[in-house]
Amino acid sequence: MDKRESMWDVYLRKGMSRRSFVKGCVALTSLMGLSTDKLEKVVEAAEKKPLPVVIWIHGHECTGCDESFIRSGSPYASDVILSQVALEYDHLLSAASGEPFEAHLEETIQKYKGQYILAVEGAACTKDNGVYCMSGGHPFTHTLQRAAENAAAVIAYGTCAVSGGIQAANPNPTGSSGITNFTGKTPVVNVPGCPPIPEVMTGVIMHVALFGTVPPLDGEGRPKQFYGNRIHDTCYRRPFFDAGMFAESYDDEGSKAGWCLYKLGCRGPETYNSCGNMRWFQGMSYPIQSGAPCIGCSNAHFWDEGKMSERLPKFGQPIGDVDKIGAAIAGVTAVGVAAHGAASVIQKKKRDAAKEEENGEQVNK
Amino acid sequence: MKEEKRKVYYLFSPFLRIFHWIMVLSIVTLFITGLLITKPVTVMGIEPTYTSMSMDWVRNIHFIAAFTFCAAFILRIYGYIRYPGDRLFPRVWKGHFYRDTIDVALHYMLLKPGHDPYLRNPLARTSYVGLYVMVLIEILTGFAMYYMTEPNNIGGMLFGWVNVVLGGEMVTHWVHHIVAWLIIVFAIGHVYMVLRADLMEAEGEASSMFSGVKFLEHVPLDAPEINEEGPKSKKKD
Repeated sequence: MDKRESMWDVYLRKGMSRRSFVKGCVALTSLMGLSTDKLEKVVEAAEKKPLPVVIWIHGHECTGCDESFIRSGSPYASDVILSQVALEYDHLLSAASGEPFEAHLEETIQKYKGQYILAVEGAACTKDNGVYCMSGGHPFTHTLQRAAENAAAVIAYGTCAVSGGIQAANPNPTGSSGITNFTGKTPVVNVPGCPPIPEVMTGVIMHVALFGTVPPLDGEGRPKQFYGNRIHDTCYRRPFFDAGMFAESYDDEGSKAGWCLYKLGCRGPETYNSCGNMRWFQGMSYPIQSGAPCIGCSNAHFWDEGKMSERLPKFGQPIGDVDKIGAAIAGVTAVGVAAHGAASVIQKKKRDAAKEEENGEQVNK
Repeated sequence: MKEEKRKVYYLFSPFLRIFHWIMVLSIVTLFITGLLITKPVTVMGIEPTYTSMSMDWVRNIHFIAAFTFCAAFILRIYGYIRYPGDRLFPRVWKGHFYRDTIDVALHYMLLKPGHDPYLRNPLARTSYVGLYVMVLIEILTGFAMYYMTEPNNIGGMLFGWVNVVLGGEMVTHWVHHIVAWLIIVFAIGHVYMVLRADLMEAEGEASSMFSGVKFLEHVPLDAPEINEEGPKSKKKD
């Protein structure tokens, strides 16, 4: 095996200054959610660790995650791909194609067994042996299984790879699911989102690359530093929520004034992501800031959790939502018990009268 | 005026009675504030700073009521351990329980003129278990939503699994909301049954939750249950 370059080697080869290298490391440190006293460790790792080999494969999806990834601003996606990781195989970004390209995948798997990072976008399609998602002449699940069993770690990018995404939405005709059924014992980092925030994508891959371990994960396998906060609790419109100032429709005064979008179905109160604090595209904006309620795109089954513009699901006219059904049932119950009460009283009176008559007859005899 | 011989049965300890009324108050509070949290009233303010922070208040009242309710279970559990009259849950392991339930149910379907005397009839016992199950669901789903502001803290670890089991936190919201309605439906039925029993049998069904005692003419079938540990139940002859 030839000697593999480290990040510092790449900077030297390209004639870039030590200053820009350290600046890059500072950016990476803060991006990975580490405190600044970890900078030394990051610099050390960037100097010594050979660039991690990355294989990036795509399953059932729209490649929107890649669209997001290439818009990463710190670090630039180009920096990540060209000087911070060794991207050996990528369905979307590679220039090569055809059989030599597929052969290169096999070669890479053999050469870097147990060392490379596998990044997966898209759901695993399982119905009918996975024929609804073929790549390189094989079902995607085959490629996924093959690549995952020899990987050091798997990164599941996007809600599709984590839990099936839109393919797995009802009625799920292709039997799509998240990739974890096919990754065996290899550790998996879940990076949900539709798509995930670009800086989150680069941050996670750089963490695995520089430290050789998966970042600290929460109960659902998501990196805590990016998925530890609720959108609702980090939202800049939260004061409007607390004050009870809500937009009632997309074009009313409240909406224009930037009030809380809770009543328009915002899923912020049950969504965990960094949109509220990191925002998108170098802090430019995020859905709520641009006036659209959060749709909870990093939640496992967000497609199937009712209308995205309503908090409570409605069951069509004239039934309405749970509150209407509940009030109707409560009303019917109240009428029911009243009727039951009346019937009970009438029945009792009749029986008492019958008894008295009987008693009376007995007395008369 | 009618003179009649009745026996006084001391059933409910003060702990259960106080718990019961805390439960009533907190359920009413929780239900009203809960509806307001789902469908908040829009305040037409100018700046959040100058409004009365209505949503914040509604949520705080909801949370205070919830914690009070949970804390009140200490009374309920203490009463349960100490007093046999607080232990009138369904005796599902006994064969006669099912026969008795059917018998009582037939009476309430107006098919039988009366049912055997009970301190607490098996149908009522079953319904209270149902209520406690619903309350448990509300507590679990409630804390699952409440503590996830910080998923890494101990509350998040204790209750976070509820969201995973239900398949998403949005579903937790819905379950919490639907079960709240079911509890209200239960309450309507409960109040009716108590009032009906009091009106038709005049055994002190309604007042027993204040005084702790019921007055029965005939010896109830479940009388031995409150005499299991004799001295604590004051049975007056």
